[in-house]
Amino acid sequence: MFIPNDQMRLARAYVPFQVYSEHFNPMEGLLKGTIFPELYFPYRKYHR
Amino acid sequence: MDRDQLCMLQELMAVEFTALEFHLYLDTHPTDQKALMEYNSVVQKLKVLKQQYQERYGPITYEQPSSYPWQWINEPWPWEICYE
Amino acid sequence: MWSYEKKLQYPAKVGKANVKMAKYLITQYGGPDGELAASLRYLNQRYTMPTPQAKGILTDIGTEEMAHLEIIATLVYKLMDRASVEELKQVDLGGHYADHGKALFYVNGNGVPWTATYIQAKGDPVADLHEDMAAEEKARATYEWLINLSDDPDLNDTLRFLREREVVHFQRFGETLQIVQEYLDSKKCY
Repeated sequence: MFIPNDQMRLARAYVPFQVYSEHFNPMEGLLKGTIFPELYFPYRKYHR
Repeated sequence: MDRDQLCMLQELMAVEFTALEFHLYLDTHPTDQKALMEYNSVVQKLKVLKQQYQERYGPITYEQPSSYPWQWINEPWPWEICYE
Repeated sequence: MWSYEKKLQYPAKVGKANVKMAKYLITQYGGPDGELAASLRYLNQRYTMPTPQAKGILTDIGTEEMAHLEIIATLVYKLMDRASVEELKQVDLGGHYADHGKALFYVNGNGVPWTATYIQAKGDPVADLHEDMAAEEKARATYEWLINLSDDPDLNDTLRFLREREVVHFQRFGETLQIVQEYLDSKKCY
């Protein structure tokens, strides 16, 4: 379970801040749709 | 569109995309010095590349002078290009 | 103001023409969770944002959505390439043909025209940013359903690019929400 820290309050949404460290090279970033590895969440096609 | 032009166009897309990604990141992280430095260097690279592309293949921005006759309307337009 | 660049953001390819897929994809042009709605929503919400980061991100993402609108238009244009009237009738685009010929129009997958009721501006920055985050998730889901509907690897390549952009935009709106909430909290302390 996610444990809120004492800076957080109820009835509010929180998205953690991205901390940038490195990026894909330009062509790889374009093809992936982001230059940030930590934001790359590709879709796996659902077969049925 | 020939191979060379398509290749350069895609490189331009890639570099411009990198600049855009840093741009959005910096909107919410305006004090990230490392990202800011990298943004500035990508933008510099983009400027050179865009200039080279337009000198070779004609204007793709409003800030580019044109040879005669008016080059802006030359085909193909972006949706007509075969990006194979 | 805005300035056009005569290039796409992404090299949008389709494997082969497919009017049925064009009919599904048009919803990202003029449907409820499409790129037109996204762009107009964000660009219009800028004016009541309280912080410079929020004004900046809505301007920049709203502008990027225009580039996505152009990519969707390109894909639909290519999917409709050389379609005969007979092919259009077969996928139930006869009604579209009667009203618009082979032109693009701002409609959803069932031909219902775009409406401003798809978007909102509440004038409350927290409420508006929540709408924007929801809009990104709905657009992401739409791209996933479209990928499920398509067996064209070239088309899916571009749809995957557009889907990933929704993920990045969600992150930026989320960060903007934190900034705005902290700003509003700091004002309440006085």
